[in-house]
Amino acid sequence: MKVRKIVTIVEEIRTEGGREVYPPAQVAVVAAVIENPWAGQGFVEDLNPGIDATASDLGALLAPQVIDALQGDAEAYGKAAIVGLNGEIEHGSGLIHTLKFGDHFRKAANATTLLPAVEKRGPAGVVFDIPLKHITDATIRSHHQTVEVRIADAPHPDEIVVALAAAAQGRPQQRLAPLSTEQ
Amino acid sequence: MQQNGATGSIGLRKLVTYRESVIAEAGAHPARPALQAGVAAVLRNPWAGTGPTYDLFDHASRIAPVLAQLLTDRLIDVLGGADVVQAFGKAAIVGSAGEIEHGGALIHTPFFGNLMREFLGGESIICFSDTRAEAGEALVVPMWHKTKAATRDYYQTIAIRVPDAPRADELVIVAAGSTGPRPHPRIGDRSTDPAITLKNLESVLS
Repeated sequence: MKVRKIVTIVEEIRTEGGREVYPPAQVAVVAAVIENPWAGQGFVEDLNPGIDATASDLGALLAPQVIDALQGDAEAYGKAAIVGLNGEIEHGSGLIHTLKFGDHFRKAANATTLLPAVEKRGPAGVVFDIPLKHITDATIRSHHQTVEVRIADAPHPDEIVVALAAAAQGRPQQRLAPLSTEQ
Repeated sequence: MQQNGATGSIGLRKLVTYRESVIAEAGAHPARPALQAGVAAVLRNPWAGTGPTYDLFDHASRIAPVLAQLLTDRLIDVLGGADVVQAFGKAAIVGSAGEIEHGGALIHTPFFGNLMREFLGGESIICFSDTRAEAGEALVVPMWHKTKAATRDYYQTIAIRVPDAPRADELVIVAAGSTGPRPHPRIGDRSTDPAITLKNLESVLS
């Protein structure tokens, strides 16, 4: 795995809707900009060797950093793979849609649910939204949220941006009725 | 509901910290790896709705020191200490209902710059950028060395963007820093430059 840079973003929301948020709401993102393991190889039928060589190392690199960037315990989480213009979205999906990648984050966050994800292809500086859901119960509505990310000079055409996001709470002024009230 | 610190006193909506660590550049690891970071505060523009003759001093002297401390504390925290910060810069993004002058009032007066310089152990003038923009526009923030501003190796920038700010009546104020030079600096310095004048470049310019 060839890493070019690591980006860490922390958002701390102090007011929302004109009202104080206390304690402040925190969302953290850690992204690695890596060389696409399949760059320059044309259509690769079997992605497994590249996934095996990369996905677990990526998860092990990012998971502790996003937990560290967040001041509190993670209550919601999500992931992203943004593929540079020369690659296939399948390449990014291959790296993040495997337990080899996600289990590092689940273990670090004491989480059990599947990680919601965004996969897309774009030029350097493309804006992407990472969806987050609750780490042990994906039906908890208060924790459905997104965080927006942009890295000015990534991904290059032969790169992939792989990111993890964690929130220490649900939405800042969450006040929707639980799903169970509609059943 | 409990007020936390600066939230109420300066109309703070959110803080965004952005940090980059370059592992490799142009395929090679930097000899002196650097962390770059920018910390952005989104706050209500205290002068929104005032006219071009309104005196900016009172709000600037009240708000800028609080911002300088808040942003510099975060910057030091995310970069690993004031001692390791080698380059610095600052910036303002003004929402569309404000004047660039409003951003300037918060970053260009001693109430901000002198404190930021002192917190970071600097001596140089702090370089800057500013703009008026819609929410989500990125601004490139320049940095140079905190004590030797002319040291070319440390000329660098970082792009800062807050997706949902500034609103028309908000300001985004940024403090930026770096713990090292560009990844592979090799454009020399004043001490290594040959003497360049129009006269001895006649062959290039003709």
